[in-house]
Amino acid sequence: MAPKPITSPVPDAWYPTLSVVMLSVGLLFTASFFIYEATSSRKSRSLAKELTTGAVASVFLGFGSLFLLLASGVYV
Amino acid sequence: MRKMGSRFGLFLLAISILWAPVLSDLVISKVDRRIDLTSQIARITSTLKVENEGSELVSEVLLAFPDVQTKHLAHLSASSNVGKGKVRGSSNSFTVQPVNPKGMPASLTFYSVTLPKGLGKGESLTFDVLAVLTHTLQPFPEKITQADIQLLVFQETAYYLSPYAVKVQTLVVKLPEARIESYTRIHNTKNVGSEIKYGPYENLPPFSYSPVVVHFESNQPFAVAEELVREIEISHWGNVQVTEHYKFVHGGAQSKGEFSRLDYQARPHVRGQYAIRRLVAKLPPRAHSVYYRDEIGNVSTSNLWSDSMKTELEIEPRYPVIGGWKTAFTIGYGLPLHDFVFQSDGKRLIDISFGCPMNEVVINTLIVKVVLPEGSRDISVSAPFPLKESKETKFSHLDIAGRPVVVLEKTNAVPEHNQKFQVYYKFNSLAMLMEPLMLISGFFFLFVAGIVYMHVDMSISKSSASYLAKLQWDEVQAAIQQIQNIIHRGLVIHDKLEASLRDLSRTGDIQACKAARKAADGSLKELSKEIKPLLAFLQSSQQAAQILPKVEELVAKERDLQERLMVKHSTVVDCYEKKYGGKEIENRVASQLQKITALRLEVDDLLEFIDEI
Repeated sequence: MAPKPITSPVPDAWYPTLSVVMLSVGLLFTASFFIYEATSSRKSRSLAKELTTGAVASVFLGFGSLFLLLASGVYV
Repeated sequence: MRKMGSRFGLFLLAISILWAPVLSDLVISKVDRRIDLTSQIARITSTLKVENEGSELVSEVLLAFPDVQTKHLAHLSASSNVGKGKVRGSSNSFTVQPVNPKGMPASLTFYSVTLPKGLGKGESLTFDVLAVLTHTLQPFPEKITQADIQLLVFQETAYYLSPYAVKVQTLVVKLPEARIESYTRIHNTKNVGSEIKYGPYENLPPFSYSPVVVHFESNQPFAVAEELVREIEISHWGNVQVTEHYKFVHGGAQSKGEFSRLDYQARPHVRGQYAIRRLVAKLPPRAHSVYYRDEIGNVSTSNLWSDSMKTELEIEPRYPVIGGWKTAFTIGYGLPLHDFVFQSDGKRLIDISFGCPMNEVVINTLIVKVVLPEGSRDISVSAPFPLKESKETKFSHLDIAGRPVVVLEKTNAVPEHNQKFQVYYKFNSLAMLMEPLMLISGFFFLFVAGIVYMHVDMSISKSSASYLAKLQWDEVQAAIQQIQNIIHRGLVIHDKLEASLRDLSRTGDIQACKAARKAADGSLKELSKEIKPLLAFLQSSQQAAQILPKVEELVAKERDLQERLMVKHSTVVDCYEKKYGGKEIENRVASQLQKITALRLEVDDLLEFIDEI
């Protein structure tokens, strides 16, 4: 079997766009998380909602920051 | 004097080895040697025509090198040219390995060339031997001033040193400049331009030796890297990062006296012409993010050209490096992953060149470190020449266990070692997700910390008045929020009722309208039930005293609105049942309608007001 070149799972050229998009979505979720934390009273807060918002926000922020690192030349 | 001494030593050596026994029935019928001294690296190309005069099959040809040369021998290869003449056809190389045959003089080192087909009786074979020597060109004088020219001494034997008898032989020494200080003259010596020719000499017995010394001018810079550390880091996110740390020294004649920058700038071809001015690194094509820096920071004197075949980086050290001076710097560049990393039979391999990308550089210690991604297993190296191999671990961005590093070490490396080598390893693609998962969990811990902070009660005194008041206020807030919620839900039901009326006017389906009314009645009743305990709680709470009137007003207004809406609804449905005209209906509900709009506005205002508290 002839050696087959390995490529990255996501084309390099997409990294800047991906990082901007994912970071902005992530920051929107972060904002909604903190707005919810600040406005809802202690009794009426729902833990499930907090956790899901936090999880979604961290997934977007995590991938966004990874792509930001890759786009800026820090190949992890 | 030292030179004379070494010459005398060589002479003794010649005498001592003249009586050594003859090894086999091989005879070298012709040897053409060309010694290229145009750079700091001495390249000896010998074309040997070997003939078997015995009756047995011979599969080995011995090459002899005096120990003086063996020390400096960086590269030795033998290959036969398929194509005849000067056209270099496809050459197949032979295995060359050091051997220790018995009964041979101790001051010689032997290498054996294995002939794959062997040489039968009476057969002959022509092949090339390339020997590359470093540090054999001795500067003489050893110390020169800036204005002097660099003179070098090279010692060799005019007769080919071989354990076999040699029938015909010639030697050509190619020098960089036509100016030759002196050279040993024996019979049949000619000097043509920058070349010195010895021979042809005929019918010499085994181990013939005739030392010759050439003393010549060479202003080639002696770029010697005392140490070069190349770090090749693979990232499966699409990059192979190469970082090269150089420690250069000018290995030519030492400089003596002072160095004048002014003289050097004004007349560079007379004053300090043997300085290392610039170095050109030939990088692979599509190299990106190239940098050149040293301990101080970026060095701006560099140029970069690139085309589809190569990338050329020309760097100029911070100062011209003359004899004995040193300079250290780092260059780095990124390469696309798909040019160098491949997958084959379930294994991954990186296929990249070993040596330094610069021309005519001698490297005393070359260390190549291949940093594989975290989680690589079953690592093996395949290289075209022997290397010292070791393993270490490197910690880089977002690592937990560290990345496995293969460290390959080679001493005395020359451009001939610039061959490709391979590192094989196994790697699971899912391991790439480790890095994003780490980032994600990092962010998630931040959110969890926020949640915990908001949920945990961190006051120290649980019985103080202010704390209790705060607790109560929290409860009041929760109650008010719930009431708001209920009112909102009620308003949604109101909207549904209005919608059912609009449906009625469109379709005239009285039954559907009545059903909607029934459902609304039920849910509104439930809501009013839900609101009662909350209101009772607010009335009993001191903290709510301020806001209570507003909340009560809101509830009352809502109820009023609700009642009027019901009245309107019943009237309209009634009218439809009695089949009144549109005008009649409008007249009947007109008064209610005005009040409903006004009440709705008031309720909205109140909701907003409570929201702001």
